[in-house]
Amino acid sequence: MQEIKDMVCPFCGCLCDDVTLEIENGEIVATDNCCAIGNAKFLGKNRLKNPIKKVDGKWVDITYDEAIDTAVDILLDADRPLLFGWSGTHGEAQCVGVHMNEILGGVIDSTTSVCHGPSILAIQEVGHPGCTLGQVKNRADLIIYWGCNPIEAHPRHMSRYTTYADGYFLDNAFRNRKVIVVDVRETETSNVADEFIRIKPGGDYAVLSSLRAILRGKGDMIPDSVAGVTKTQLIQVAEMCKTCKFGALFFGVGLTMAKGKYKNVRNAIEFVDDLNRHTKFTLTPMRGHWNVYGANEVMSWMTGYPYAVDFCRGVAFYNPGETTAVDILARKECDACMIVGSDPAAHFPHSCVEQLRDIPMIVIDPFQTMTTTLADLQIPVAVTGIDAEGTAYRMDGVPLKVKKAIDSDYPSDTEILTRIYDIMLEVKGL
Amino acid sequence: MKFILNSGRTIRQGKYIENKLSQGYAEETSQCHIHPLDLLELGVEEEENILVTNAIGEVVLVAVADEGLPKGMVFVPYGIHCNSVISACTHGTGMPDYKIHEVEIVPTSEKRKTPVELLEQLGGVRYAGN
Ligand code: SF4
Repeated sequence: MQEIKDMVCPFCGCLCDDVTLEIENGEIVATDNCCAIGNAKFLGKNRLKNPIKKVDGKWVDITYDEAIDTAVDILLDADRPLLFGWSGTHGEAQCVGVHMNEILGGVIDSTTSVCHGPSILAIQEVGHPGCTLGQVKNRADLIIYWGCNPIEAHPRHMSRYTTYADGYFLDNAFRNRKVIVVDVRETETSNVADEFIRIKPGGDYAVLSSLRAILRGKGDMIPDSVAGVTKTQLIQVAEMCKTCKFGALFFGVGLTMAKGKYKNVRNAIEFVDDLNRHTKFTLTPMRGHWNVYGANEVMSWMTGYPYAVDFCRGVAFYNPGETTAVDILARKECDACMIVGSDPAAHFPHSCVEQLRDIPMIVIDPFQTMTTTLADLQIPVAVTGIDAEGTAYRMDGVPLKVKKAIDSDYPSDTEILTRIYDIMLEVKGL
Repeated sequence: MKFILNSGRTIRQGKYIENKLSQGYAEETSQCHIHPLDLLELGVEEEENILVTNAIGEVVLVAVADEGLPKGMVFVPYGIHCNSVISACTHGTGMPDYKIHEVEIVPTSEKRKTPVELLEQLGGVRYAGN
């Protein structure tokens, strides 16, 4: 048995880089330091063995060469292809995707549009007072989790960076670091909080505005209760935030998916801005997929825009709400789709899934997913972090090299996409 | 009865994410968490099925009592079940209202479907190889 240390877990935006893997006969048999979700990913079985293609409503096994030719045909035949996903693959593959989209004149969007897209819209309006997770771990004596549930969605976030972590500049971090949780429901995370603020659904914006009013000395304007939160609690929380030495606000899709969407996030950023007149305070979105941040980075440096980039005019165009995947599918606008490292059939509203069914669809994914059932072609690839390697960005924007643990015959996403892209260039005479 | 539907990630749903065609995932994503007093009012016992409907569609889920929820709100883990009643309207932001949707809930004797059955109903075909 071979043991490999300091591997990166390719599941959530925490990108834990202290995972130990035990390898036996070229297979991962056990993990250490991993949470239950990461462990399930490393030990995952049931990979698709070879490319498959739907012919007359039935799946048939095909070779990689055939699969690549079919993918090229589908994409080149389309007038308005949508290239979606990208958060489940490494940066190098994302680069090829952007190049491909440019010559296709299609739309490239990542799962960002259905997770923290609204956060990016808010950041574009008022900026991002962020910092690395290392700063939070070593300095923050107050943590706020707003509209997120890290114990379920980012299981090691609290032990690596906040509640249960030691802090270099903190005495007795476990005892002295305070945690505030804000949510519409009780969760595992709210159960371990020092202070739990329960908000009525849709009330985040009002509560943030009230906290800001109190910070600015306008507390007397606040009614006795705001969206189910008492004025006494609001004053107490504002005081906790104002008097801490270093605060860190983490927020989840509870803010971005609720009523108000990016306006909620904008208000949270401005709340942090107000707090910085009293103390140090930062804000970090809890990014879900392991490399969704990377998809934003790659698209930003290559096109100028972080997601939902439309190349139909020959130049990059970005208008979330119009060029985002859900909207394009709901308008039945795209006529072919390529899904890389994502499963929209499991996560998109029903009417979008119907559109995915009705157009030619290519899936590039190691596993059979829900989207597979509606696709026309699937090309299995290696899993980054297991048998492929590449760059990924952690939720705080720190790029990490995701190493591979074993060798396999599966090609990586980059290899498959490059082969498709090269043929396209040839066909188009570019 | 009218409810606000909230959807989100759970650790069990996360564990099955690379294995969504499994029974475990089917069980997890077809649960509907409801406050026990709301269950009482609906006349539904835990582990009985309920029908969730709105203008978008309908879906059968199994009721799970959850005191952590406020009355009037139900929680369903992310997945194809809850998406059956989620509208594609994004209000010009790209993001559907996954956390705040009005739904009507009634008791039902209908059976729950698995994700694969829901997909097959849509015209999906499962690859039987492997
Ligand atoms: S917290 Fe996230 S990155 Fe860390 S082990 Fe768990 S799933 Fe992997």
